[in-house]
Amino acid sequence: MKIAWKEMKKSKAKFLILGSIIFLVSFLTFIISGLANGLSQDNAALIKDLPAGQFYLDEDANQTYNLSKIDEDVQKKTLADNPDATAFSIQMGFVNDAEDKQHSVAFVTSTDSDLFQNVREGEIILDRTLEDEGIKVGDVLTNNQFSGEFVVKGFVDQQKYSHAPVAFIQMKNYQEIYRVMEMQAIFIPGKDAPTISGVESFSNKEFLNAIPSYSAEQMSLNMIVWFLVIISGMLFAIFFYMMNVQKIGLYGILKAIGMKTLSLFRMIWYQMIVITVVALALSIALSQGFSIVAPEGMPFHLTLDTVFMLSGVFLVVGFIGATISGFQIKKIEPLQAIQQGEM
Amino acid sequence: MSAFTIDEVKKTFTNGEIEEEILKGVNLTLKEGEITALVGPSGSGKSTILTIAAGLQSASGGEIIFEGKDMTKMSQEEIRHIRATDFGFVFQSSHLVPFLTVEEQLQLMLDVSETKTSKKEQSKAIEEILKLVDMEHRKDAYPSSLSGGERQRVAIARAIIHRPKILFADEPTASLDTKRSKDVMELLQELTRTLHLTTLMVTHDEEMLPYADRIITMRDGYIVE
Repeated sequence: MKIAWKEMKKSKAKFLILGSIIFLVSFLTFIISGLANGLSQDNAALIKDLPAGQFYLDEDANQTYNLSKIDEDVQKKTLADNPDATAFSIQMGFVNDAEDKQHSVAFVTSTDSDLFQNVREGEIILDRTLEDEGIKVGDVLTNNQFSGEFVVKGFVDQQKYSHAPVAFIQMKNYQEIYRVMEMQAIFIPGKDAPTISGVESFSNKEFLNAIPSYSAEQMSLNMIVWFLVIISGMLFAIFFYMMNVQKIGLYGILKAIGMKTLSLFRMIWYQMIVITVVALALSIALSQGFSIVAPEGMPFHLTLDTVFMLSGVFLVVGFIGATISGFQIKKIEPLQAIQQGEM
Repeated sequence: MSAFTIDEVKKTFTNGEIEEEILKGVNLTLKEGEITALVGPSGSGKSTILTIAAGLQSASGGEIIFEGKDMTKMSQEEIRHIRATDFGFVFQSSHLVPFLTVEEQLQLMLDVSETKTSKKEQSKAIEEILKLVDMEHRKDAYPSSLSGGERQRVAIARAIIHRPKILFADEPTASLDTKRSKDVMELLQELTRTLHLTTLMVTHDEEMLPYADRIITMRDGYIVE
């Protein structure tokens, strides 16, 4: 593959342009992917951080979490039959601080469980973003639907729902605020999914889609990400096609002197891999740097798993693009290249 | 000793419904250590017979016998292998790889032909051949910095570095002035003799004919003398 490397060294500008485009497209893809993941965390970290298991909603809720109400008898029997099970509810609301400033929250309550924060009556545990808004442990918060007061007992990290910080409260307090006795959902961790009459079961992923706006938001962002991946593959195909057209004479002579067509393909693949790996390494470094300097409050969450998965896809798509463009090499007649004159 | 035989080779091109017979049954035997020059007017079929013999295009009929085997019955891969190991090519233009130095051009040919595998063997072969074509002093130069004559000398070095049995030269002096043309022909003549090559050359330059051992004249798809 010395010949492929020599060409890259001698024609730096040409390969630098292709590399820059791959870098820009992959960097943009990583940033949008980071934003998609960030918004996803912002929308449903509370649910996404739960272990794998089964969610149950009222079968009359039309697969919509907000409409679900679990029958009390069903809840009692399910919790009795499944010791790890927990019933919970989430509703959007707000709390007022001592200065009467309103803070939007997602009130969460549950039966006793290790999966959610357990609080006593009159206590509240908040997502840490509210600490950044000036609320401290020991502060007293109120809600106009609640007769008592909440004392802030602590903060937890990364507990968001529907882009709002979560506020864990005791069940009786929740029932008073929302004037309901029933919980909205039951969660049973683990692979076993017992059939329970009167409710419909959902996997973690299916349950996320039952959250209004979640799937629409994620679908739009993921579509942008995958479009960018496809566009980068097309860019590879177009660029290598253009380069191959310019090099028909060279390929023809190399074929005439006996070089195998496979060796010419290897030349293209080698160049594609070098360009992509360098462009991706730069994109990964910059996107990770961006996650450190991203403005406060910007929902940006780019894990290395996502970065490496997308990088793998870029390499595969680039390989396919370069290979498609290389098919014209197969058709090149050495004689035609010789008759074209000097390269 | 006969190294290469062309027997009743025909070539027909089809252009729409019109069939044009370019070669009408060519017979030719090439001998080791000899330069055979093919001459004739444009359209006589001399370049076509050279490219068919070199395995760069197929014949419509006849046989091409190389080392006892009929090349017209070989697969594309077998022909490619022969081109890589047993044939050498010098074209009208040098057709050097623009991004390789003189030394790298020769190394590439050795890699393609898979004849010299160790680094030491390759370096020795390159050194020898560059001395032979008097280009040792330009081994690190790129084609763009070489003169036309130098480029053609490198092309000849590339064509013979893997010690081919047959050397095909299609108008090797067409892009050179008289002095450089003579230099190149002297080199081809010397190499053909010292390396026991079998050389088939197409030319329309009568001044180059004294360097050939045999002169074959073609006209209208036939050998006439």
